[in-house]
Formats: sequence, C-alpha cells, structure tokens
Amino acid sequence: MSHHLFLLSPSDTPIYSLTHYSTKLPQPTSSSLSSNLPTWSTSAFAGTLTALSGASSATQSHHVQGGSVRMGGGQDRHVIQMIANASLDIIEDVMRKESAMYLKSVDKFNEWTVSAFITPGSTHEIILLHETKNDDGIRSFFHDVWELYLKTMLNPFHTAHSPIRSTVFDTRVRASAKKYL
Amino acid sequence: MATTSKQYKAIGEDLWKSRTDKINSELFALTYGALVVQLIQDYEDYAEVNKQLEKMGYNIGTRLIEDFLARSSLGRCSDFREVGEVAAKVGFKSFLNITPTVTHSGAPPPSSRSTSAAQQSGVPGSSFILTLDENPLAEFVELPDEALEGGLWFSNVLCGVLRGALEMVQMQVQVEFLSDVLRGDESTEIRVTLLKYLEEEVPVGDD
Repeated sequence: MSHHLFLLSPSDTPIYSLTHYSTKLPQPTSSSLSSNLPTWSTSAFAGTLTALSGASSATQSHHVQGGSVRMGGGQDRHVIQMIANASLDIIEDVMRKESAMYLKSVDKFNEWTVSAFITPGSTHEIILLHETKNDDGIRSFFHDVWELYLKTMLNPFHTAHSPIRSTVFDTRVRASAKKYL
Repeated sequence: MATTSKQYKAIGEDLWKSRTDKINSELFALTYGALVVQLIQDYEDYAEVNKQLEKMGYNIGTRLIEDFLARSSLGRCSDFREVGEVAAKVGFKSFLNITPTVTHSGAPPPSSRSTSAAQQSGVPGSSFILTLDENPLAEFVELPDEALEGGLWFSNVLCGVLRGALEMVQMQVQVEFLSDVLRGDESTEIRVTLLKYLEEEVPVGDD
C-alpha cells in the first residue's frame, strides 16, 4: 500500500515529492481494470488502460498482465503525477468554498484518493495520493509535514520556489509517514 | 588570584539577565540570514562576502566594546588567557546568551595545547579557540552547495566583532573560523590569535 506525497510551490510546481510504502495492513484492492477488457481491444487503448490500472498498489502491479513491458515504476510515476495535477483544479474550487487548511479527499481516481492540505494564504499545497481511508492519520501527517516545511522556509537560502533537497527534511518526512500512514 | 572563571560566569549571567531589551531570536536569525543572502547576491564571490561580513563585524565590535566595558565594569585583563575567558564567559554570554568553551594555546610550538600558565601571558602568538555549541545566528540555516564549495563562513561577522572589540583595548588580533557545523564539520570553532599589543596613540594636537 503506497502513498504519494507532493509539495507544491506557489507556481504549482512540485518542490518535493515522496513515495512511501506503508507497512500497515493493506486493504484488499479492487481488481485491475485490464482484466475487464475484452481480449480484442486495440493494444494502444489496452496499453493506456493497463498503465492507468497499473497505478494501483505496488503489490498489485505484479499481477497485472497485458503484456505491457512498460509496467513498473516509470509508468506509474507519470500517472501519479497526472492524477495529482488533475486534482489541482478541484482543489482550487474547494479552496474558495472552504476556509479550513485540511481539505479531506478532494478527488477520487480508480482506487486512489487525493487529499489536500492548503497553507494559510493559499501559498502552498500538500497533496497526498492514497488508497485507504485514514483521515486522522493523514491530517496529523499533513500537519507534521507542514511544520517541517515551515522550518525549511526559515532557511534564508530557500526561496518559495526552490526544490527541497535537504536530507534532514527527507528523513523526517519519511519518519512521520511511517508514524501516521 | 584574580577573578575566577566561576565569577566570570556569574557576571555574564547577571549581565544577560539585567538587559531589559531583548529581541526574538527568530527575528534576529532571519535578519542576519537575509543580510548574508543579500551580500551573496551583491558580491557573488564568497571570499568577498566573508571579508565584508568581517568588516561589518569590525564596525560593530568597536562600538560594542564600549557598551560591554560600561556594563560589566571589569578592569584590564592581566593576560591574554584572561581575555579569552572574559570574551567567552562574559562577552558572548551577555550579548548572545551562549557560553562558548575556551581552549587556550601558548605561543609556538603550536603542537602543545597544555594550559601551563608560564607560556601564555601575553606573548604574541598565543591564541585561544572558542568552541560554540550553539549559534543563534545560524538557526534554521542550511548552506546550499555553491556556498559550501565557495568557502562561505556564515557567521563571519563574529570574527569581526572580536577583532574590533579587542583592537579598542589595544590588542591586535587575528580571528578566523576553523570549522563550522553548517559546513558539515563536527563543531563551530573560532581561533583568536594575538598579533601584538598596540601602543596608546597620542591624539593629534596634544604635546
């Protein structure tokens, strides 16, 4: 069961991303889409669908057939990022209505849920793609990541758009992910 | 025996407590950080930035020593060793609320780090090393790679302050950073080396 985290700058470019494989009990995932495809479907379509369904949990991806050699981390990555980007629009809409920082799940895609966290002043967004429902854990995780990011921002050499490369930050985010997710 | 190290600590503590105008440390660190970043953008050469920070520190030091002497009402230090003690326990404590540890070192041969009093009194060449276990200037700071390669000493202003202050009390010293935790070293160390004692300058016009 994996989670994908993205930190976005004011210009909506990702300044930090993380993939975390949770060791907590994975929920039974729904069957992949490609198995529902009739065998005669065109390879291009099947390929796309396989790729999309391949965005399911890492454990699942081993089982997906379809002859897609591209299955694996690289393909998943693109899809994940596509999902994350797509959710940005929805986040903007929700942002206008709600004033809370933690927006619960804003979007759903296959079995992926997108949760978002917006900082006061709408400067930064933290987006998390996850499969299972875990509101409290995710809320605490968002707060943790937010606090870690605040400390990073206090670094005079860090601008709002610079990507975060600090290993300390990375370690701490991972530890927090392990704790809450 | 003159004022002992414990007494210096007590004096430093008192001075810090008696100061009523303190400033938020985050604000202080952010201000200094912004200053360094701006200098880097202006000069684009880390050696030059180091020099400018030191110069700024020098100007601060020449003024700071007056404040320090007025508040602490300490007399002249008997030897260079005492200078190190006072600077660490009273000076740093009363202005930055940190107490660096002092390691004294006599004149060459530089290999001996023993604290035998005989060698230290005021021989040019004697030095002491201040080891800062925390640095309020550098809270939250992480140096980017270019700064690390360029050789930036982030807190170089402190060197200037020490040099300026000591010059006002007739000591010409050389102050430099030996290591810095920001650079990935184990500790932050500043070495102060006595170059020579300055003669009292007679103001122009006097006979």
